[in-house]
Amino acid sequence: MAVKKDYKDQKLAEKLRDRKYYVSDTNPEFLKEVEKIGQTAAHMCFQCGTCTGSCPSAPRSSYRIRLFMRKAVLGLEEEALTDPDLWLCTTCYTCTDRCPRDLAPTDAIMAMRNIAARRDIIPRNFLQTVQLIYKTGHGVPNNDTNRAARKKLGLDAEPETTHKYPEYLPGIRKILDHYGLKERADRILAEGE
Amino acid sequence: MAEVKKNEEPRIGVFVCHCGTNIAGSVDIKSVVEYAKKLPNVAVADDYQYMCSTPGQNKIVEAIKEHNLTGIVVAACSPRLHEPTFRGATKMGGLNPFRFEMANIREQNSWVHMHQPEEATAKAKDAIRIAVAKAALLEDLIPKSVPVEKAALVVGGGVGGMQAALDLANAGITTYLVEKNPTIGGRMSQLDKTFPTLDCSQCILTPKMVDVYRNENIKLMTYTEVEAVEGYIGNFDVTLRKKARGVLTTEEAEARGYVGGGCNGCGDCEGVCPVIKPNPFEVGMAPRKAIYIYHPQVSPLLYTVDFDACVKCGLCVDICGDKKAVDLNATDEFVKIKVGTAILATGYDIFPIEQKTEWGYKRYDNVITSLEFERLICASGPTGGHLVRPSDGETPKRIGFVLCAGSRDNTGVGKPYCSRFCCMYSLKHAHQIIEKIPGAVPYIFYMDIRSFGKMYEEFYYRIQNEGAKFIRGRVANILEDPVTKNLHVNAEDTLLGRPVDVEVDLVVLAAAIQPSAETERTRRLFGVSCSQDGWLLEAHPKLNPCGTTTAGVYLAGVCQGPKDIPDTVAQAEGAASAASIPIHLGEVELEPYFAQCIEEKCAGCGMCVNLCPYQALSLVEKDGRKVMQVTEAKCKGCGTCGGFCPGGAIWMQHFATPQIIAQIDAFLLGGEQ
Repeated sequence: MAVKKDYKDQKLAEKLRDRKYYVSDTNPEFLKEVEKIGQTAAHMCFQCGTCTGSCPSAPRSSYRIRLFMRKAVLGLEEEALTDPDLWLCTTCYTCTDRCPRDLAPTDAIMAMRNIAARRDIIPRNFLQTVQLIYKTGHGVPNNDTNRAARKKLGLDAEPETTHKYPEYLPGIRKILDHYGLKERADRILAEGE
Repeated sequence: MAEVKKNEEPRIGVFVCHCGTNIAGSVDIKSVVEYAKKLPNVAVADDYQYMCSTPGQNKIVEAIKEHNLTGIVVAACSPRLHEPTFRGATKMGGLNPFRFEMANIREQNSWVHMHQPEEATAKAKDAIRIAVAKAALLEDLIPKSVPVEKAALVVGGGVGGMQAALDLANAGITTYLVEKNPTIGGRMSQLDKTFPTLDCSQCILTPKMVDVYRNENIKLMTYTEVEAVEGYIGNFDVTLRKKARGVLTTEEAEARGYVGGGCNGCGDCEGVCPVIKPNPFEVGMAPRKAIYIYHPQVSPLLYTVDFDACVKCGLCVDICGDKKAVDLNATDEFVKIKVGTAILATGYDIFPIEQKTEWGYKRYDNVITSLEFERLICASGPTGGHLVRPSDGETPKRIGFVLCAGSRDNTGVGKPYCSRFCCMYSLKHAHQIIEKIPGAVPYIFYMDIRSFGKMYEEFYYRIQNEGAKFIRGRVANILEDPVTKNLHVNAEDTLLGRPVDVEVDLVVLAAAIQPSAETERTRRLFGVSCSQDGWLLEAHPKLNPCGTTTAGVYLAGVCQGPKDIPDTVAQAEGAASAASIPIHLGEVELEPYFAQCIEEKCAGCGMCVNLCPYQALSLVEKDGRKVMQVTEAKCKGCGTCGGFCPGGAIWMQHFATPQIIAQIDAFLLGGEQ
């Protein structure tokens, strides 16, 4: 357990916070859960960094997929799930293509997102995307600029999707409703306000 | 010769080993011993902490005398481990050593049923009951001795094969050294310097090459491959294919009546030859002619015609003149030799690293392999030792070294093992560029630096001190600047936790190694097993690293697994020592597990003759009819014939039908009686 000292000054308390990790604080079940959902043997990671080196997100953000693999292996559940970087993976799967241990770091990330989502830890923009899909069938719906561009290229203003065939929207909504996704997105977004 | 005792009323002694807690931890020894005492034919049952120890073996010796035993059963580890030990004890007690049977209650019982003591105990009782049933029917057997041919064969003329051949030859044994290339020297002759001492590779190798060439006991056969192998330890009949070389040695020329002729290595033929091909010795970076030598220090100094390239213009024949060394109508010749033992030293090839597409080998000009680097940095190489970029011939200043390129890779494209010497030669490469190119900076991308040998860690220290930059991260990908042909090496510096993009002039891939192309074919000829990655399988990874499961065949060097030069030479000396033992003994004892023909039952149908994988059986005339006859020295006791014989006329010694039936009966019907 981390040592807590009773500083009166909160800034000082934060500055001098115990930054060690303690094995007693880790959750070994977390690794098992990640491996079960992600269907990849994350504990075989030998931290070579090929994943981060291949990652299109890494050079532009603080997202380090190798560190998430490490945290999963060590069972540092709180740290992994509350880190907003967890949501910066673009799921391009380049790391999975190149991993010399034949692991799927992308799937481990997706598993951790699943576990985070169960605890309602989801960034607002992801929830808004859910609302948009529910409303329009698109995470990024068509807009006027796009429509103009399409026309200029000789295409129909609306693409061959729910934009053109809104009669398929109820089907999409049914899937989202089945998992209670829209309801949950609404609730979490409302709570945050 | 020992006296063969006829079977009498069987009296079996059973000895159960605790093996510390290895067996006793899960098997109830006491209950097993009590059970064994009640089995039929058991005269005495006992247990001991370590049966293989001297007091344990003495128990067997004493019990044989005290209880007048006819057979011994030891329930302990695998017979692969201690069968010879307990056979020895049985012999010491005055019994024929083949009156011993082992029940494996460790590897096949206590170790796998560690957490099921009751079931393990029951299984141990079963194993002992079965062994006792066989022991009651065991007979005296006399091992057969066969003479050993006083000659040895070494396959592969790299540093390992050369060392093995020299050791054998210096021990007075005629040694055939067979090399598929036109010269001996192998991979080591392609290297510039050797770590960690920085000796010039050629300088320390060529004296050995000369020794091999000059040694009277070594029959050096270059440009030759093994075609067929027959026989067994002591008596291998080997057919060698002498590939059509097109050039005669002095002796060969004399044999044809051209006294004073034959190739003297003058090189006039090479000068006139109009055909140009890439030289494989220089990894294709330098030209050679259709009539060629690899490099000036070849041994033997003898030219070779590449008949795949030769246009038979005859210019070489003309310029060779009276020496008459060139014969453009040469064909492959087959030579038969007889040897007592053989050593395989077939070495390695570089993994085709272009298969790892993210590093761009063969796609980007300035990505090379470490073997190409060795040739480029070598004074006798295609650039005279001036390291240059293939794209523009400029001297590179920033050089990236990619370690574990294809090694430690479980993706299926690459090799799961560590290739073992890449860390060290990459450190050496870093040193060489710092030494040769002013201002050069090596960037070494590594996962772990494995500097495990004598003075290796100190070498790492030295290179770090010389200014090499170490980046701990495996290279994710390499991109080429299409204008400058510079390379961007992308990786994560895992110690900083940040992605890096290092722009370099040249990238050297420390490519993984794999068994040489001929290894698979050669190992099949000699009946040697390989592990799943293709490296040849030693008899025991720790206690018999030079032997194989085929008696009389030994391994040296990288063909058994990745090794650096010191380890290769050490193993070669070990293999030479092992291979010389049967030769010096003059004869070897074969385990007497031969098939025997029961002539009164044999119908002479001859079906078994064709089934035998070792050509050990034949049909002979006896008393006016045909019967099968076994050449015992060739028989391996596999049982194929015995299992097949429709008349039950083949008796497999030590695995005879009544013995096996008794074992099955004991298992199915047995129990306390």
